[in-house]
Amino acid sequence: MDFLIGWIAIIPNYATPLVLASLGLIICERAGILNLGAEGLMAVGAMSAAIAVLSGGNPWAALVAGAASAMALAFLFGMATVVLRADQTLSGLAVVAIGLGVTGVVGRSYVQKTFVGIPNLGDIFALERDTAVARIVAVQDPITLALPVMVGLLWWWLMRSRSGLRLRAVGENPAAADVAGVDVQIVQLGAVLASGLLCGLAGAYLSVATSHVWVEGMVASRGWVAVALVIFARWNPARALVGALVFGSADALVPRLQAVGADIPVYLMMTLPYLLTLLVLVIGSISGRRSGEPAFLGRIYLRQDKH
Amino acid sequence: MLDAAFLVRRQQPGLLLSALSYTGGLAFGLAVSAMLLVQAGVPASALVDEFLVAAFLTSDGLSQTVTAALPLILVGLASAVATRVRFWNIGVEGQLWLGAVAATWVALHEIGPESMRLPLAFVLAALAGSGWIAISLVLKQRWGVNEVISSLLLGSVAFLLVQHLLFGIWRDPANSFPVTAAFPPASRFSALGWGQLHAGLFVAALIALAVWFLLERTRAGFYADAVGLNRQAALATGLPVRRTLAGLVLLSGALSGLAGMVIVSGTEHRLNQAVGNGYLFSAIVIAYLARAKPFWVVVVALALGAVFTAGNVLKVFYGVSEGMIVLVQGTVLISILMAQFFSTYSLNRPS
Repeated sequence: MDFLIGWIAIIPNYATPLVLASLGLIICERAGILNLGAEGLMAVGAMSAAIAVLSGGNPWAALVAGAASAMALAFLFGMATVVLRADQTLSGLAVVAIGLGVTGVVGRSYVQKTFVGIPNLGDIFALERDTAVARIVAVQDPITLALPVMVGLLWWWLMRSRSGLRLRAVGENPAAADVAGVDVQIVQLGAVLASGLLCGLAGAYLSVATSHVWVEGMVASRGWVAVALVIFARWNPARALVGALVFGSADALVPRLQAVGADIPVYLMMTLPYLLTLLVLVIGSISGRRSGEPAFLGRIYLRQDKH
Repeated sequence: MLDAAFLVRRQQPGLLLSALSYTGGLAFGLAVSAMLLVQAGVPASALVDEFLVAAFLTSDGLSQTVTAALPLILVGLASAVATRVRFWNIGVEGQLWLGAVAATWVALHEIGPESMRLPLAFVLAALAGSGWIAISLVLKQRWGVNEVISSLLLGSVAFLLVQHLLFGIWRDPANSFPVTAAFPPASRFSALGWGQLHAGLFVAALIALAVWFLLERTRAGFYADAVGLNRQAALATGLPVRRTLAGLVLLSGALSGLAGMVIVSGTEHRLNQAVGNGYLFSAIVIAYLARAKPFWVVVVALALGAVFTAGNVLKVFYGVSEGMIVLVQGTVLISILMAQFFSTYSLNRPS
């Protein structure tokens, strides 16, 4: 029972960065731009936020710093893919390389320095940790709490609002959107920047809200899991939330088992989230026929090609 | 807004224009990288010294460069072969790890007679690499699962398997780091008496030659180009599309696996946690810069080998982090990608 409570309590902690990153990627890919750079964007966000706190910043301001610096990298990606129409797969991989490289170089002198991050609800409201519920609630943080609202708003904006429709139109049929008066490039650039913001936030969450420290390689493939999660979620924010909870629980299992001193092959257990991701992709492909994929995802739109 | 200038795809980009945009992008990327290095505290004069003089013009440096280039040639070829059939092999590191594990298994458990250890490790490493990418291949062919993600996730799984072995049954108790015991001499490539250079040189050279022959001189290579250029058309023409695709993808995995074997049998002489690090981006950058042409893969791999050599020196003397090499690769890659714009499109005013 104790184990179960401990496990449930930390699942949101593991799921939150995945949700944030997938929401960003969903916006980007709904506008037709394939963004494989999440891993690099998250690394930049995590490092910048940690540096901000270590330089005496407020943890909340650090989240903004993380998001902003990831947006700068996303802007480079947008220049390459939207404005200069470069190959999106390769550009995304270049963004990962730049993100991981920059954090390795710049973050060198900030590695392993712990700091005071975002407080959890238990600290904010001075909760008594006597009941099971209280113990679970106490370790949540305000960001996790706000997450369902964010997902709901984003879903509404994407599926019900006029500007959301425009964004989706660009990803489905940019020629038609263009004729209807939508500025395709501006929408795509905005979507890319939004993905930078949310991936940066996801990274910043990792360092400032979860670990309270920065170490190189701290994103540890979570960006890639988010990329896969988007496919599983069929580009739907609500499904991304569910998916992230599933992966979060797999991810959180190993440290919990270690914490209670279970004798398990740790590294083999750590393959679980990756294998689960693969399994989910396969199941999604068998049953869903990849439904929901924006029709123009990853392709290059030129007015010349308009029929 | 951005379409006010009307963008048109060039039908036939001229050779000069292509060459200019490519070299322009390369030069710009290198210039930015040099600036980043200077920012990181490396004096500009040291850059010239380390990259040109030390990495190519001294005997020590050149032998290091060539040694570093051997696995780079193999992973570059792996990426190039997959690129030819438009299969994104993003799991190069995973296949490399598996190849290294196979070679390590033969070495540590002393499988077979001594004279057969290296050939056996060679075959098993190739098979291990192929086997690992075969998962992504089957998932893609059978259910249409995106290979970018599946191969990448399998790369992470492979690394965790190596960790499991290094912290478990293969750990050398005499060493405080998680590494295996050193390989017996029968499982090492013999040294050639020039720096660290080893007999893996002949392996890499022969493989490069074979891949060049396969891609440029055989029917299979021709099919591969047809599949890569237009899969639908290749299907309609009745070419063996599935078989060609599968063959080249498995070859790609085998080449990555062999890179792992060359590293553990040639330079490290043991399996450790750093064996496969960073080869994914190197492979992609090499194949892209070389336009997936085997000859140019060798050239670019040698150049990147020099970057590795110089990077090691800079790391020791100026405290430049290892991330710098990845950063330089990413910068050059995106710079050339962006510069392609000028040879791919032309700007016409709307009439």
